[in-house]
Amino acid sequence: MSAPQTSLSHVDQGDPEVRRGQEERLSAVWATPKGWRYWTAVNNSEVGLWYICTAFAFMMFAGVLGLLIRVQLAFPDNQFLSAEAYNQTFTLHGTAMMFLFAVPIFEAVAIMILPALLGARDLPFPRLSAFGYWCFLIGGIFVCGSIFFDAAPQGGWFMYPPLSTKQGGIGADIWLLGLSFIEVASIAAAVELIVGVLKCRPPGMHMNLTPLYGWYVLIVGGMILFAFPPLIAGDFLFEMERAFDWPFFDPERGGDPLLWQHLFWIFGHPEVYIIFLPSIALLAMIVPTFARRPISGYSWIVLSAMGTGFLSFGLWVHHMFTTGLPSVSLGFFAAASEAVAIPTGIQIFVFVSTLLMGRVTRSVPMLFAMGALAIFVAGGLTGVMVAVAPFDFQVHDTYFVVAHLHYTLFGGMLFPLLAGIHYYFPIATGKMLSRRLGIWSFWLMFAGFNICFLPMHLTGLLGMPRRVFTFPGGLGWDWLNLISSVGAFVFAAGFLVFVWDVVRPKRETDAATRNPWKAGTVEWMLEMPPKPWGSRTIPKIESRYPLWDDPEFLTKYDEGRFYLSDAEEGKRETIITSVLDAQPIQCLRVSGPAVITMIAAGMLGASFIFATFHWWWLTIIATLGAMAAIIFWLWTGTAQHPEKAEKDIGLGSLVPLYISGPKSTGWWAMFITMTGDLTAFLGVVFGYFFFWTVHEQFPPGGTTAPGWQWPLVAGVLLLAAWAATWGARVVNGRGRVGLARLLLVAGPVAAAAGIAALVAGPWFSGLDPTEHAYPAIVWALVLWTALHIAVGIVMQVYCLARSVVGHMTPVYDTDIWNVALYWHFMAFTALVTTLVIGGFPYVS
Amino acid sequence: MTNRPAKVRRRPSGPARPSLVALPILLMIVAGCDGPQSALSGAGREATDVSRLFWVMLVGGAAVWIVVMGTAIFAVLQPPRGARVGNAFIIGGGVVFPVVVLAALLAYGLSMLPDWAQSGTRLKVHVTGEQWWWRVAYELPDGTLVRDANEIHLPAGEPVEFVLTADEVIHSFWIPAIGGKMDMIPGRTNRLVLTAEKPGTYRGVCAEYCGTSHALMAFSAIVHERDAFDAWLAGQAKPAVVADSVGARRGRDQFIAAGCGGCHMMRGVVELGDVGPDLTHVGSRRTLGSGILPNDRETLEAWVRNPDHLKPDVAMPGYAMLPDADIAAIATFLEGAK
Amino acid sequence: MSTDKGQVERATGEGTDLWRLITAPTIWAVHFLVCYVGAAIYCEKAGRASALLPVTWFVAATTAVALLGLGLVFLSLWRVRGFSVVGGDLNYLGNTPEERHRFLSHVSMMLCVLSAIGVVFVAMPAFMLGTCR
Repeated sequence: MSAPQTSLSHVDQGDPEVRRGQEERLSAVWATPKGWRYWTAVNNSEVGLWYICTAFAFMMFAGVLGLLIRVQLAFPDNQFLSAEAYNQTFTLHGTAMMFLFAVPIFEAVAIMILPALLGARDLPFPRLSAFGYWCFLIGGIFVCGSIFFDAAPQGGWFMYPPLSTKQGGIGADIWLLGLSFIEVASIAAAVELIVGVLKCRPPGMHMNLTPLYGWYVLIVGGMILFAFPPLIAGDFLFEMERAFDWPFFDPERGGDPLLWQHLFWIFGHPEVYIIFLPSIALLAMIVPTFARRPISGYSWIVLSAMGTGFLSFGLWVHHMFTTGLPSVSLGFFAAASEAVAIPTGIQIFVFVSTLLMGRVTRSVPMLFAMGALAIFVAGGLTGVMVAVAPFDFQVHDTYFVVAHLHYTLFGGMLFPLLAGIHYYFPIATGKMLSRRLGIWSFWLMFAGFNICFLPMHLTGLLGMPRRVFTFPGGLGWDWLNLISSVGAFVFAAGFLVFVWDVVRPKRETDAATRNPWKAGTVEWMLEMPPKPWGSRTIPKIESRYPLWDDPEFLTKYDEGRFYLSDAEEGKRETIITSVLDAQPIQCLRVSGPAVITMIAAGMLGASFIFATFHWWWLTIIATLGAMAAIIFWLWTGTAQHPEKAEKDIGLGSLVPLYISGPKSTGWWAMFITMTGDLTAFLGVVFGYFFFWTVHEQFPPGGTTAPGWQWPLVAGVLLLAAWAATWGARVVNGRGRVGLARLLLVAGPVAAAAGIAALVAGPWFSGLDPTEHAYPAIVWALVLWTALHIAVGIVMQVYCLARSVVGHMTPVYDTDIWNVALYWHFMAFTALVTTLVIGGFPYVS
Repeated sequence: MTNRPAKVRRRPSGPARPSLVALPILLMIVAGCDGPQSALSGAGREATDVSRLFWVMLVGGAAVWIVVMGTAIFAVLQPPRGARVGNAFIIGGGVVFPVVVLAALLAYGLSMLPDWAQSGTRLKVHVTGEQWWWRVAYELPDGTLVRDANEIHLPAGEPVEFVLTADEVIHSFWIPAIGGKMDMIPGRTNRLVLTAEKPGTYRGVCAEYCGTSHALMAFSAIVHERDAFDAWLAGQAKPAVVADSVGARRGRDQFIAAGCGGCHMMRGVVELGDVGPDLTHVGSRRTLGSGILPNDRETLEAWVRNPDHLKPDVAMPGYAMLPDADIAAIATFLEGAK
Repeated sequence: MSTDKGQVERATGEGTDLWRLITAPTIWAVHFLVCYVGAAIYCEKAGRASALLPVTWFVAATTAVALLGLGLVFLSLWRVRGFSVVGGDLNYLGNTPEERHRFLSHVSMMLCVLSAIGVVFVAMPAFMLGTCR
């Protein structure tokens, strides 16, 4: 894309009149909607703010539940909460803290600050962020609200079957469906953030100049794609058991409760690092600023974040050390659990080394960072202890582990996050938080935290198990528990000071000056208070700390002497760059305010909620409504034809306004989404082979049902549908539109026939999914594949319609590119499904 | 808050404070670690090994913590150091030291993993987790089973194999004073070998969340010298004793008439049902309600009347509709069933 | 997808991309999974009393392959990188594609070392235990 020299030389950026005109146009384009329409905003600064506030609201709700727990356990034989109320309370405390605070706050903060860190105007899919936010809000309210109707889940945040599959009521369904819904939001955010870091960096910001926060977001986004889907697969199996009695976890009919534990912890352990890494990433931004020097080991941090991300997937069985697995299995996981301490430690050591080499300025964010270090190092050390399996045999499921996990989460997540909120508060609001209140809240929280959780180590070693609603006196736990309860309230007081600091009316003296911390990274170029357009102009980056390294940087920025300093066409625009070296490759038009995202999220939420109550007809109606809304959203909001092919974005760069295929953001989004989807599918396949491992004979009784014939037919038909879609993309690109349309008719027909053949196998061989885990898992694979193919049919028909009305042409062909990519994944899914169900019975 | 720098300067003592205070407290408590449910009391071989490991790891961990935090605080307070110091710190502290220490710890931990194939136990104890009590059976070398509930008796000084499973939901069998825990999973059979060493009475609990009354699922673990254990086991194998009194005999009749035998096995008295705890020698147990209540008359009566008040969601229905005299008689009978 | 792009970029005198970055940890992950799944299936199918010897050999072979793979990756990076694993990180020399390339190969090399440590850690249990218990 080397552009001809047609820079905007006719524009004199030195002329204040010109600049005022540009700023007016930018303001108009990026204006936040007023009145009720405010809630239709999709811009990252609004959605990010709502997201952060909502996550903190859920956090405080869960925190109150935590306080209730501490009140109940303050004294032996306390009657404050009944057993059932307590069990609901601790289940919801863990669930809300993990799923409604810890993970979403990462997404929230990232959506809020990532564009600023990358000097971008917005993330590539603003409506997707908004959609994710509304999903999160609806799901969260649904899950949390249940406790007010005495209907909350009470199976623990890990929901182990058979306890939770046998429990009556809708608590477990609320947990499952509400959280599946929130996982959708997480994956949406992961797509947004990965594409954001890879494709939306400002020109010149090579991979090795990316702010460390960007690296962490990229790695965590990748982890979400491999960690959350197994839980979605688990949820799918779990809900099939609860709703339709498919016995995946019922040992009397060939199921196994341990399958859930595997699927849950394959998610659950990486999740801890998904929470930890983005928060430590904030420290990686904060520490250099206050050390007044670059981070002392940029590549060490990248290395360790990467290493942690990978190793964290080899730890899950350390949550299952006492389930009676062979010692050698425990050994593998103990080894990986010890090994992960190495990269984790390196990050801490890089921070300390940066402090050693710098001249440290004291500030509230640094205070929180130091507190985080003190707590996290302690939590990490107890983590090394519990990774030693024989020690874990003793402390597993005791208050020792409660103490350990709170040390890692407070030190690794909450304190860094609070440091980050103090640090980035000006970017969100243009105001500063109070130094005095910050110091007060820190010391109250730090002291309260340690008073609460330090004694718990001992409580656990003295034999107190977790998740008990009461305990007898005289076992040495009485005083320890009372001290913990007092500490919890001290902590809560400190947190309230922080909340007050955030919500109190701000005076003029609280207004932030520009770059208040004298940082070197690019987000601090923003005007204070920040403007709705984000970056005045998208900068050209030459170093990791441009504000420190280039004294002219701010002047050039203010005068709009970089890219896209105007919005001539009245569109919201940002720059898409190449992955490694950030060369501009496209000027992306991003979408503006929309109601449809809210409607789509509402419909999808309704379908999950109706399913909880087993109102199947309403569920189907809501699902169709959600699909219709999403199709409307895509049809009206994506792949629009630009009024010209290319645009001059300044500094002599002429880039296209429309690209399709592997360079486009949409293609990447599809690729990333489908990677996650494929992982979930492999989770279900894992179920099949897990059953094979634990059974003497699997399939049971040597059956070969559903036979090889129908799966073979299904496989051939589905591969034909895939070939038709792929072919349609190729011939459409060569201008043979008629043939492409023909293939887009043949494709859905083959796919529909494929679904029929796929279902015919188990149907005609009489496999009854409620009889045994074998037919159940076969049907689960068939159902999963059939539903995905059905979505694929909708996509094929969508492309056909776009082609017929002229929205899709040989030039503007991003729709068929993305649909063909979806079908590549479908071909693999169909192949695996048919091979497993039709082939494996003959070889086992 | 007027003296801000001083405030911040005081930080060194801040983070260090909890552990500096905690260490002596911990050390003082070492003496008090002998609670009936303490993992540090070392009444069994496995627990002793683990508590030794714990103290070593604690001291090592505290040292690491103090060095790291000390350096961090030093770094904040002191003027900048050169790049050489910083790099050496990362490589030495962040890479070399942890790799060596963690490898050693891993090897030591692996060497502690039980290799039970060679343990050759004389006694097998079958324990099944129920909601919320323990079904127990002692398997003698000749294969006969001696049944009991909610109490575990062990001979001192020899390894005992526990065969663990569960009926409805997952539980976890744990006697902290003797050794680590093992989950009881429906459809699976797990094995655990423990060696009790010090005779005495300890307390075990269910460690895996198992529903409403998970907190109320405990048991007594009594470690005997070998002879005393044999005597106890022989007594346990006998049928129930009906105390030689009018009240006890009347209680026995009421027990049968009220249908208690539909769920509770009482060898020699009524042998119909088996869904609730075996009551053959209930009078000799230390506790009622699975390790949560004293075994006395008052509690027995209260339990028969309204077990749900003492253990929420328990499967046993209340018998408050029986006349007080009948309940009293049943209590007399059960109390005498030694 | 990566090969196309990689070809084009390598033609400009570079040698690494993001895929190279994840090669070493992926080798660790595959080694880990193969060892764990292999041992789990063996112990489940052969019974808990069985000797662990076949697993030990299996893990030894897998580990050898994994370390060999890591060594090859390391060597290929060493050639394009040209200087030590730990040095030269504190300052970058300018915003050139070559600098970015050196950074990526530097990180990839260190990931090789970390992955090798991980592989050795994970292999240890197979050599220290005797049976499937």
